[in-house]
Amino acid sequence: MNASHPAAGTGEHAVHVTRLSDTQWHALEGDRVVGHGDVSPRPDGRLFVSVDVWHAAHFAPIADAMLADLPTPLYTVVDESDHDTAAAWEQAGFTVARREQNYLLRTDPQLTGPGPVQPPSGITIVPSGEAEEGPLRALDRIVRDEVEATVGWCTMPAEVRPRPAGDTVIDPSMYAVARHGDQYVGLLRVAQLPRQPRIGLVAVRADWQRRGVARALLAHTLDALHHRGKTSAYAEVDRSNAAAAALFEGAGARPAGGSVEYVRG
Amino acid sequence: MTKTAGGIEVEGLVVECLRNATFKVELQNGHTVLAHISGKIRKNYIKILPQDRVLVELSPYDLTRGRIRYRFR
Repeated sequence: MNASHPAAGTGEHAVHVTRLSDTQWHALEGDRVVGHGDVSPRPDGRLFVSVDVWHAAHFAPIADAMLADLPTPLYTVVDESDHDTAAAWEQAGFTVARREQNYLLRTDPQLTGPGPVQPPSGITIVPSGEAEEGPLRALDRIVRDEVEATVGWCTMPAEVRPRPAGDTVIDPSMYAVARHGDQYVGLLRVAQLPRQPRIGLVAVRADWQRRGVARALLAHTLDALHHRGKTSAYAEVDRSNAAAAALFEGAGARPAGGSVEYVRG
Repeated sequence: MTKTAGGIEVEGLVVECLRNATFKVELQNGHTVLAHISGKIRKNYIKILPQDRVLVELSPYDLTRGRIRYRFR
């Protein structure tokens, strides 16, 4: 694949953008590589693009070439403090799809954690690694269907880890769950990353929401991390999800930057 | 140090997270550069923290600037 797109450069040479493969482009000014473009599919099928350049003037030729070659819609992610890159994507016709807030959570309940939290009456918390796989998968399916029937998973923080088609629970040992009788009603997934654990998903069945189930799951998880010697964890939340923000901020989470997802239809 | 089609790549250690999505990275040769993260790292939500070992592509226009292309585990 070698489609070439000539464009004005910053110096005496024109910029030529070449598609190197299904997923990669580069821009040459003379014989110097002045930028790269890349596209990759997410597990949900959405296509995410990125452009890396050393000079702002080289951004548009690469973006234009990619947009001419790729189907829509296309998505990209920009750090919320990176105003130059955000402006470049907006110039290329992208608009904000959603904003994501990063949170840093201390795990020590004596410092900034939620302190002792008792689960709601009738609820017990099953620690990560002890949940039964069958009921866990059933709960995961229920909450995903509930989300899809309301706000949709497109409003949820991106899940970028590849997984087999149709399988949303890759590693059951990552989940703590809230149990009521023989039913699971809430779950919390935490990835034990080497440097800092990541709370990747907190979900409670619709008929069990607003009763403190998520708060109990979060308090349990932070306490468990603290006892394993982890001092902090992080999480991402859609800024429009007031309930999720309140959950984390109620647990003493501090905002720690964020990102903006753009889309071009 | 590796010379690639895109430029010079050097390993370094992140010493500070700065504003505007940039990082201060100390290279193996002792020099310090200001680096931002590549689009692929951003797209994949890979967090960069102080003390991370990273691969930095140096800018051919300004050797005090770079782009973090890879974070070592």
